[in-house]
Amino acid sequence: MKNPLIKRIPRELKSEWHKYLVIMIFMVVMIGVISGMYVGHDGMLEAVYSGRETLNLEDGSFELSEEASAELLKALGTGQMADVRQHFIDKGFETADKEWAKTADRYHLDEPHTARSVKIYENFYRNEEEDCNNDGKADATVRIFSSDSKVNMASFNEGRAPESDSEIAVDRMHASNVKIKLGDVIKVGGKSFKVVGLLSYVDYLTLHESNTDLMFDAFGFDVAMVTPKAFEELTSRIHYNYAFKYDKAPEDKVAKAEYSGDFLKALVTCTVVHDVEIKSYLPEYLRQASNFAVSDIEGDSAGAAILCYILIGVIAFIFAVTISNTIDRESAVIGTLRASGYSKTEMVVHYMTMPLVVTVLGAIIGNVLGYTLFKDIAKNLYYESYSLPPFQSVWSRTALVKTTVIPLVLMFFINLFVIVKKLQLSPLRFLRHDLVKSRRTKARRLPRWSFLRRFRLRVLFQNMPNYGILAFGVIFIELMMCFAFGLPDSLDHYAKEAPGMMFAEYQYMLMDSRDADGKTIETAENTAERFSAETLLYPKQKASFREGMGSGQDESVTVYGIADNSAYVSLDGKTKNGGVCVSSAFAKKFGLKEGQQITLNAEYENKSYIFTIAGIVDYEGGIAVFMDTEGFNAAFGREDGDFSGYFSRNEITDIEAKNIAAIITKNDIIKVTNQLDHSMGGIVRVFKYALIVMTAALIYLLAKIIIERNEQAISMAKILGFKNGEIGSLYIIPTALVVIAVSILGFFAGYGLMIWVFKLFMLKMDGYFAFYMSVPSMILSVLYLLIGYAVVSVLDYLRIKHIPMDVALKNIE
Amino acid sequence: MKEDFLEIRDLKKSFGTGEARQEVLRGMDFTVKKGEFCVLLGPSGSGKSTLLNIIGGIDTPDSGFVSINGDKLEEMNEKQLTLYRRKHLGYVFQMYNLIPNLNVKENIEVGAYLSDRPLDVEEVLTTLGLQEHKYKYPNQLSGGQQQRVSIGRAVVKNPDILMCDEPTGALDYKTSKEILALIEDCNKKYGNTVIMVTHNEAIKNMADHVIKLRDGIVRHNDINTEKITAAELEW
Repeated sequence: MKNPLIKRIPRELKSEWHKYLVIMIFMVVMIGVISGMYVGHDGMLEAVYSGRETLNLEDGSFELSEEASAELLKALGTGQMADVRQHFIDKGFETADKEWAKTADRYHLDEPHTARSVKIYENFYRNEEEDCNNDGKADATVRIFSSDSKVNMASFNEGRAPESDSEIAVDRMHASNVKIKLGDVIKVGGKSFKVVGLLSYVDYLTLHESNTDLMFDAFGFDVAMVTPKAFEELTSRIHYNYAFKYDKAPEDKVAKAEYSGDFLKALVTCTVVHDVEIKSYLPEYLRQASNFAVSDIEGDSAGAAILCYILIGVIAFIFAVTISNTIDRESAVIGTLRASGYSKTEMVVHYMTMPLVVTVLGAIIGNVLGYTLFKDIAKNLYYESYSLPPFQSVWSRTALVKTTVIPLVLMFFINLFVIVKKLQLSPLRFLRHDLVKSRRTKARRLPRWSFLRRFRLRVLFQNMPNYGILAFGVIFIELMMCFAFGLPDSLDHYAKEAPGMMFAEYQYMLMDSRDADGKTIETAENTAERFSAETLLYPKQKASFREGMGSGQDESVTVYGIADNSAYVSLDGKTKNGGVCVSSAFAKKFGLKEGQQITLNAEYENKSYIFTIAGIVDYEGGIAVFMDTEGFNAAFGREDGDFSGYFSRNEITDIEAKNIAAIITKNDIIKVTNQLDHSMGGIVRVFKYALIVMTAALIYLLAKIIIERNEQAISMAKILGFKNGEIGSLYIIPTALVVIAVSILGFFAGYGLMIWVFKLFMLKMDGYFAFYMSVPSMILSVLYLLIGYAVVSVLDYLRIKHIPMDVALKNIE
Repeated sequence: MKEDFLEIRDLKKSFGTGEARQEVLRGMDFTVKKGEFCVLLGPSGSGKSTLLNIIGGIDTPDSGFVSINGDKLEEMNEKQLTLYRRKHLGYVFQMYNLIPNLNVKENIEVGAYLSDRPLDVEEVLTTLGLQEHKYKYPNQLSGGQQQRVSIGRAVVKNPDILMCDEPTGALDYKTSKEILALIEDCNKKYGNTVIMVTHNEAIKNMADHVIKLRDGIVRHNDINTEKITAAELEW
């Protein structure tokens, strides 16, 4: 015989539908959104990763001054270094040894070399002017590739590849920004083309025109595809760009760096021997246009993870309260069943069923919505930022684990704990409704207030445990409110403060301290000061919320070598004894203290550096380590006089652009906030409004519990002749007072918690900024909660009004 | 001559400590035979409900023992006690404690589920006069009807002992007599031993065995030779 108690579950769901509907909506929305974010995230990454294979992404590329001969390509394909010395001798250079020494020194040609054989592809392009509205003015630079390219190919989000010579396919992101649609006619290089496709090139997920651009520009730069004949007919010069792929692919970042170094030696020597000039060389792993978006997406799950953890806490909490309340209400039935021979396990299983059923239902519906409706929210967030290939829906194991397995496991254990604890009592105590461990033997003495006031106070005291639960719930809500209000505030605040955080208005990072002729790069700018810099990685595994599929495991740290008596960074001689100073942002983010040792790793080499922290420099703009130039040179094996760039208060105009790798201004500092705003801004704003509804839902559930627990007393008060209004004031006013008090206290608790949660959140992101909330936001976060409660109290009043008098009469024992 | 089925020896139980200590059972001894209709009679505070709870294995004595069919309850652990209640006992309380979202038939099935040899649910419904109400929910029934369901839930298990704690305490005269008649019928029809706690003196007349309690001890332990039917009871 099937346990007849099972039949209660669907009926309970039906009879208490409003309660379970609220819980279910709560779960479905949260699980749906988070599942959607993960599915969107994983699907997008899958699309990018699979595109790398199917669209044949290069391992690197180089541009030559002229088209390479078949011999040169053959030589490069072997990956062997050419004999440059012999070449100089053959050329009759009298100073062959000297020439060789110079070249060998510059490219470390004397060091051991392993030949990395490669397959080389032509990937020629032209940079043309694009006039997208046919007004005769150039709107953007467009990089044109031929449609017959066999490397770095494109996927089509809409439309198709050009088939006739007057057709063109342009980048989807650029098209969206400048409002180009399929069928439009645009002018490229003075010639009209009909747009037949919106594409995404696998090597241009972000539209970086040059690899040294700090930010991509999807308005002023475009990539496009035309037929080979149309490509031939364009007039601007051809860039002889060649892409290569290793015959045996390197396995990790360190190997990629080694391979790239080895191939560069072959490239340098072979081009010298074949009298061709290298215009550029870029291994793919350093290519911003193909990696920037990926690393951003990979690290993008931190926000979703935080939401997920808060959600699980809230749902588990609601269920614990609901179940505990149900057991209290059904105490006599439980006692009877236990006395009749139902075992504790049977009762535990019975009461566990409902939360698990609701969680499973919520998770199923949430996941279905996640894979359909909400997936598009995340997808669109990415599409608004990057030139990504068509989305591929994938089965996201992470989404399933985070939104279904973890909530289920948590539900299971939290409920098991609460129910087992509740059902520990003997059947007799259940029969007697004696569920409280200790009971006050004497009534509290109250001041001589009016009867109603004292009554309210009694209600307050009597419901203390319920109000405790309410307080817990309000803290959760406030935590979410602080998140919803605080994140945009923090982003704005940081962006506003950023200029003040710069220790130099301009930081010029040079390609090398010497120009092509070997001369040291100098400037006449008075305020310029030399500095050295290296980028290392700080491992942050202790903060990982989400393993796999994302890099996000290492923080990028800029190590500066600062000149003595620097006008920009004051080290106060602290680093003289071999120590280093860290930026205050670095110290705060990872809780670093003076005297502590930190280990930094080279990203592309198997090298580690251990430094002792001698001081903290007040710099909130980045994760940085500062040391004196001498210490820097010693640590990184640099020669005296070597440097990486200039700090300057004014713009430097006398250094040639080709020698500058990057100029760091405040835009670079606020990159982290821009990135966050890009990826989370929209969802946080939606989240804020969803929170008001959730707040009301949560208070509704909690206030319902208080009224339900007092149903009998309310019914009795009605029998005694109290009016609904009076009873309402007896039961609603104490709750209102508690909600107001607890909201204010909850705000402080939520705010404090959020500062801590934010710190964890920041660990997952690159860079650092502190949690900030403006005063209006603080007030609003409490006000929203109170507005939610005002709505609930109206419902409470209606509920009180509907409690019949026979509740008290039927239960006299 | 029927054999002793339930044996109670020197049963003591007290509540509280120090000055507040109250001895509820102060050494009780009696036996009940299989199939007997036994009434435990006494005023409030005489210890009858405590005694019933101890016999039912949901409370424990301070000393002495309860033995059912030779098995001593004090030697059973919690699991064995649950099994004992499951296999041998049926409980009827003054409050019906029905499951509100199960209908009459399902409430009775809750009892049937526990038994290895349950009675036919339909037959029990007929016996209790609940056939026409079997799809109703408890809140659609009168107090007397609800108590019938509660008896059905206990009887359907076909228990060795039917424990009734003031089963008519919340009912009017007429309904009380109907309920008593039902318990009497069940006792006759299914042969369960009935132990009924009541403070209603009149009920003793329908019992085989009357045990009067006062201040925690057995004052009278009588076999009723002039038993009348429930229908004949007057109070």
